[in-house]
Amino acid sequence: MGLKDVVKKGTFVDILLGMSVTGTYFVTDKVTVEYPKEKLQTYPRFRGVHALLSDPDTGDTKCVACMLCPTVCPAQCIRVIGEQTPEGRSHPAEFEIDLSRCIFCGLCEEVCPVAAIVMTKVYELATYDKNDFLLDKEWLMANAVNAHKELVALPPGAGETRPPAGPVKIAGTPGAPVQAAGLAAGPVSPPGTSVGVGEGN
Amino acid sequence: MSDPIAQLIFLIIKAILLPVIIVMMVAFIIFFERKFAGFFQGRVGPTYLGPWGSFQSFGDIFKLLSKEDLIPDKADKPVFRMAPYLIFIPAFLVMAVLPFGPVGGEANLFGYRFDYVIANFDAALVLFLAVGAISVYGVVLAGWSSNSNFSLIGGLRAGAQMVSYELAMGFSVVGVMLMANSMSFVDIVNGQAGNFWNWYFIPQVVGGVIFFIATLAELNRTPFDLAEAEQELVAGYLTEYSGMRWGLFLFAEYVNMVVISAIMSTLYFGGWRAPLEVLDFIPGPIWLFIKIAAFIFLYMWIRWTIFRYRYNQLMSIGWKVLLPLSILNLAVTAVVIAIVG
Repeated sequence: MGLKDVVKKGTFVDILLGMSVTGTYFVTDKVTVEYPKEKLQTYPRFRGVHALLSDPDTGDTKCVACMLCPTVCPAQCIRVIGEQTPEGRSHPAEFEIDLSRCIFCGLCEEVCPVAAIVMTKVYELATYDKNDFLLDKEWLMANAVNAHKELVALPPGAGETRPPAGPVKIAGTPGAPVQAAGLAAGPVSPPGTSVGVGEGN
Repeated sequence: MSDPIAQLIFLIIKAILLPVIIVMMVAFIIFFERKFAGFFQGRVGPTYLGPWGSFQSFGDIFKLLSKEDLIPDKADKPVFRMAPYLIFIPAFLVMAVLPFGPVGGEANLFGYRFDYVIANFDAALVLFLAVGAISVYGVVLAGWSSNSNFSLIGGLRAGAQMVSYELAMGFSVVGVMLMANSMSFVDIVNGQAGNFWNWYFIPQVVGGVIFFIATLAELNRTPFDLAEAEQELVAGYLTEYSGMRWGLFLFAEYVNMVVISAIMSTLYFGGWRAPLEVLDFIPGPIWLFIKIAAFIFLYMWIRWTIFRYRYNQLMSIGWKVLLPLSILNLAVTAVVIAIVG
């Protein structure tokens, strides 16, 4: 150990350098997102739980029961039973997604010829009852409020086309349509239960 | 009311108030430790309980109290129960001889002489070293009585570590003793009267730094927390403790931290005295509190910065660096004082 090392150790240079690093962290802005109070804005292509978009003219779902999504679904979690409407249009009598099987790959969204099934921003899927994972047609159609903007029919140019530069902190406001209260807001959850640890619980 | 009776009443009040204040301080130090741990890592720390999360310690205490009190089947039960108290009773004892304000004729309260110390003990420094050495029994006995290998190794490590660092600590303190020409904390603080350049830290800088490093080891805090090295020993001597019994150890650790910080400021940083004489209008206890807080912050800063030393590094620092340096410091101090007078 030379003189240089002795001086270096005797003056605690390395330790003071380290302490200056932690001291800098002490005063800089914190990176914590206090999750239930504030939430990260999801990216525009985030694959949250599904929604069925409806046709604004008829009010019925856009889905034509073509069976492409149950066919392509690698987890085989979609069940569709088609029927004819009185107007002669093909339409799903039942449309069920089993979330406990779904892997959120988004293939159903990609394959849909009429852009009826989309993935949304909802990611808060915890539940007290596993029956809540069985999403029916009414629930999925109600969840359309949480769909990404550019996937819903909008006048040209109104939708955002580029993702934001990074995750954006947004203040949590209960009940706002952007927020993930979506699952709990679904009208046809089994009584007394709700999917999603929203403000309702 | 005659003066002796007034002194007795004051004594009782002081003896009750001081531990209460320390306990309250500890509750908030534990909160600040967690808060600052977050800050040093770019997080925010506890935020939920109370304003700014400041009631977090009380939440912790309620959680610990509501937990099951578990004593291992094969543990040495009386020793197992006694060990936590063996750590923090010595710490409280030392506070009795520590002055937190002027002592002697200068201070007055309701017309009576009021000494800002519980006991103006002549050999306070010796008491501090002796009682400080007792607290290691708590750690060693906790490790021994748990009947667990991890606990035993943790306790033995703590014992070896304390023996190594107590020596350097003792020798470095003798320098202060020589300069003050007394072993009483009251006289030591009085010897540092005046502005901050009269503090013993300036002439005794080597001794002060050695003392500080040795206290880190005495407190079993990072970077010398080998006694509870999580990666190797689960939790060292704390492995078999749970619930409030474990909480007592944590509590004792922070009581020790307060006391050691108070002694550090008393020996080297003027105790309750203001850094500048013009600031003397601020009472002594507040200055002592500020100094204690500063040292506790420094302990936390070091804890969240420096890694734990390896066991052989710990031993070589203690025996090959700190001990010779402290003896050298003592010799130089003695010679200088003999010459200068």
